[in-house]
Amino acid sequence: MRRGRGPAVAIALLLAAALAAAGCGFGPGSGVGEVSLTVTRDYGSEQMQRVASDEASESDTVMRVLDREAEISTRYSGGFVQTIDGLEADERFGHSFDWFFYVNGVESPVGAADFALHGGEAIWWDYRNWSAAQGVPAVVGSWPQPLLAGYEGKSHPVALECRGAGAACGAVRRRLDAAGIAPAAGPTDDAIRVLVGPWARLRDDPAAAQLEQGPQVSGVFADFTPRAGDYQLQGLDESGAPARNFGPSAGLVAATRRFDAPPVWLVSGATTSGALAAAGLLDTIRLRDHYAVATEGGQETPLPLR
Amino acid sequence: MRSPFAYTPRPGPLQVASPGAAVTYLGALVAVAFLYSNPLVLAAVGVAATLAGCTAGAGSAVRIALRMGLTLALLIVVVNVLVVDRGETVLLRLGQAPLLGRVDITAEAMAEGAILGLRAGVAMIAFAVYSACVDPDRVLRGLRPVAGRSALTAALISRLVPVAVADATRLRDAGKLRGPAAAPLGRAALLRRLMAGSLDRAVDVAATLELRGYALEPPRRHSLVAAFSPLWGGQPFTKRSRYDRRFYCVGVVVLIAAIAGLALGADSFHAYPTIEVGLGPATVAFSALIVLSGFAPRRRDA
Repeated sequence: MRRGRGPAVAIALLLAAALAAAGCGFGPGSGVGEVSLTVTRDYGSEQMQRVASDEASESDTVMRVLDREAEISTRYSGGFVQTIDGLEADERFGHSFDWFFYVNGVESPVGAADFALHGGEAIWWDYRNWSAAQGVPAVVGSWPQPLLAGYEGKSHPVALECRGAGAACGAVRRRLDAAGIAPAAGPTDDAIRVLVGPWARLRDDPAAAQLEQGPQVSGVFADFTPRAGDYQLQGLDESGAPARNFGPSAGLVAATRRFDAPPVWLVSGATTSGALAAAGLLDTIRLRDHYAVATEGGQETPLPLR
Repeated sequence: MRSPFAYTPRPGPLQVASPGAAVTYLGALVAVAFLYSNPLVLAAVGVAATLAGCTAGAGSAVRIALRMGLTLALLIVVVNVLVVDRGETVLLRLGQAPLLGRVDITAEAMAEGAILGLRAGVAMIAFAVYSACVDPDRVLRGLRPVAGRSALTAALISRLVPVAVADATRLRDAGKLRGPAAAPLGRAALLRRLMAGSLDRAVDVAATLELRGYALEPPRRHSLVAAFSPLWGGQPFTKRSRYDRRFYCVGVVVLIAAIAGLALGADSFHAYPTIEVGLGPATVAFSALIVLSGFAPRRRDA
């Protein structure tokens, strides 16, 4: 008796359907959304390239998007970027320069070739001297993306914590509202925290306290040094050395991260008025492409100082 | 049946040449295969090794090595495309897989796997030619002044392994001759008997070596200096051949050209982030030289 082809065809169709459902298919796959790409050098001080929107596909990684938009070369079997548009990672004057990338303002735990994109990410590549800080776990230059869309492919709630902040707390809340960010009603473990207040009140927080251990721990090129019973904001240069002392009304917006916990944003100053000044920095234009920003007398100063 | 990789004495230049010359020549080809990643150069090395084998009369060894090398190359490509998902050109998405994570088949991973496979295949052909054309006894004799104990160990292994295989065949035949009613002879039992027999043989060999004075210090002339004495006009430890100079020269020229080629950028190949194959004049010229080196084992009167 001749056996029909029906079961074989059905099995093949089922297999094809299962593979399609599992995300299998030919080619790079369909689009998942727009991503933005920024390429800068020296802690964001010089912009080399900005692509406002690039359609990402299902199989896209940070490396593939970069390769589409820039001339690159890689090392370690395509795992790490060696050059972007001719600017090569190397050692100069006893300092190590390399390419680092941030997705939604957070340093990635995996290489660019292994970082899958889901659409909506802000990718930032920066070429910098990493002698003083091998890792900068979080930066503020992609505001409001990390607070709006989360990081590493997961969205996180935002917790606003005001500690003796006075008017600064309200100012920060308004800035968050304007950016479309709704802070969570209560504290949650996986929330990205925004700490607002004078440094004397924030330094009890373990994540915030990393600032006092220098940029090699916190990734923030700023420090609050004790002075006459209070604190003074100090800006550091790329080597981590003190480069400028700010006045009592100076404010700071910075981001850091403790171990694998979600990033913590600091909106602070030596005084309450400093924290209020810092709150005024929370917008795209003032923070764009900066690791951290200090302000004094209405004048913004990107950190680290050059 | 005799293995096609087994050394067969022939009057060809590669077989007649001293082991040092043959090893220099074939070793230079293998060195190029490991120094270069450019597919044209690797293919040229493969062609040269194949030509060398065929002109030296080791065609069957080359054929089998080609088949084995191709199988190994395919395996390497398959493994590489499954475990490496780097590269710009995604050909196929296989979704998430246990242990492997997200599996994207990319043209770049395929190209890198092909290069690794080609390198392995080329090395296999070169070793097949070596195995079929270079007398292992002469190699061991040449090694004796440099590393006497290692040479002795290698010589014993090269003799005792075939003996063990013959023992196993005899034991299996004896098992079959017990008749159909006898219990089948298991592999474990066969292996146990073989192991016991090989230990007996090892004791015999050790006693023989002891009696022949192998435990004593080697004679003075068996030194490193004596091994290299032909280089400054001393009496050669192994018989030299009129083809030695040819193989030494070709090997050295290939190595020098390889180093010069690296300096001139003849090894231009990048699999990531997109495939870039350099086919500049330096690459083409070096590849041509490598292919020509494959004719070194050719007889002048052929």
